[in-house]
Amino acid sequence: MDGDEGAGAHRGDGDGAPAAPDGITRHEGSSGAAGGSEEGSEMIDVELASDANLVVAIARWHQPALAEAYRRHGGAVHALSRRIIRSDPSAEEITQEVFLDLWQHPEKFDAQRGTLRSFLLARTHGKSVDLIRAETSRRRREDRTTRETATAGYDLEHQVWDMAVAEQVKDALVALPDELRQPIQLAYFGGHTYREVAEMLGAPEGTVKSRIRVGLGRLRVNLAERGVAPAGVES
Amino acid sequence: MTGTPVGPTESEIEELLGAYALDALEPDERALVEAHLETCPRCAAEVAQHHEVAGLLANSGGAAPGELWDRIAERLDTPAAPSWDRLAARLQVPDGARDGLADAGGDPADRLPASPAATGPEEAVAEIVPIDRARRPGRLATVVVSIVAAAAALAAVVLGVQVHHLNHQVSALSTSHQTVTQAAQAALEDPTTQRVQLTPTATSTAPRGATVTLVMARSGTGFVIAQGLQALPAEETYQLWGSVGGQLISLGVLGSDPGVSTFTFDSVAKAQAYAITAERSGGSVQPTHPPLVEGSVQA
Repeated sequence: MDGDEGAGAHRGDGDGAPAAPDGITRHEGSSGAAGGSEEGSEMIDVELASDANLVVAIARWHQPALAEAYRRHGGAVHALSRRIIRSDPSAEEITQEVFLDLWQHPEKFDAQRGTLRSFLLARTHGKSVDLIRAETSRRRREDRTTRETATAGYDLEHQVWDMAVAEQVKDALVALPDELRQPIQLAYFGGHTYREVAEMLGAPEGTVKSRIRVGLGRLRVNLAERGVAPAGVES
Repeated sequence: MTGTPVGPTESEIEELLGAYALDALEPDERALVEAHLETCPRCAAEVAQHHEVAGLLANSGGAAPGELWDRIAERLDTPAAPSWDRLAARLQVPDGARDGLADAGGDPADRLPASPAATGPEEAVAEIVPIDRARRPGRLATVVVSIVAAAAALAAVVLGVQVHHLNHQVSALSTSHQTVTQAAQAALEDPTTQRVQLTPTATSTAPRGATVTLVMARSGTGFVIAQGLQALPAEETYQLWGSVGGQLISLGVLGSDPGVSTFTFDSVAKAQAYAITAERSGGSVQPTHPPLVEGSVQA
């Protein structure tokens, strides 16, 4: 296998190979490969492959497919991790781990459950949160919680916007009442547990817990109303 | 989910799903939810929905840092040899199962490599095995799918793969079809035989109701009882595969319109998981298409 393909190394070689029925385009006629129409080990054009087919190719140890998955989603993975950890070296380490995990265990992605991006981001979130919870001693965590309680108002106004999310997503989030929006933001971007969130907002734990769930459901509706349909899930 | 009064109720667990999706639970609650998700597709679907919504919140633009990819690429342990063995290592296989396998085919050239490490970097194998030993049995089927799919790309690899072309046997037996059916019937009624149900995979093109039952007698004779599989074009055939000792092995070519047929297997090194693919007439050394039906031995 060609081990040193960089991200996007195959870009622009458009030989116009027709898409195979499964959506993976095969290079026909390149180097006169035997049996170009046969199923098997031919190259896929990763640029044109769906995310799900990229994962199938990754399961076949096709390194350019992982490079393409990284090109498509690496930026989001890295940005989310950096947003939560607030440390560049750690965020880079997490980004590497997320894609190395995909390389080793592509079977953990279930295309019927959701998109590759949300799968990667959920893993990124989990790893990032684990890291800050492990790194932060109990004492420092309490300090941090206290400090952020003081600045929660300011943070909440800013932490979404610097994620450069799409306008409709911002709209959908802003359309949530504060009491539903704040717990989601503190948990998701701040990496806080719902108990910490409850403390920060001075609300009962059970209330915060259920507001996160209700808020996510409402957000989904808001997104749908703005034409942003979370893909790959059915109700 | 009624019954044991211990632990939280289902609705209490449902209340945790949003916080779970945002990794905002304490470890003990997280474990509770994860255990519940294993058995509750509805809650698992809700979590997937929350993940999609959360993923949109994080939907930051920005290009992926190129130098970071270089560092990832350095750490990819792509084996120099095709990675069939490492993929196969994802299956749960008792170590002892590898040994008796040479008896199954008879041809010494078809022997398996002595260990998974024979074709790949050792630490990579070590990385995979412990994780997958922890895998719950229910996941095995998924892994078989990915293995068979992965194998489809590796036509050049013939590590320990044996093809039993049963065409001649099948045609010889088909003259006495009644006899095969009767023998299969007798095997079904024999309590000492082992059964494995193969059902359509999630991505299968086989009819949803299709089932294939494998009935295996201790003698090493097995019966394939196929119900609901469509007839293939004449130039194609169904082929039965077993995963033995970490390798996918052809257990027989079943013809284009299987009803009841027989196969032989090694009763010492029996496969843990089975799958049927559609292949070109005459069969393949390795599966070249994803499985249509598959199933694994119930513990």
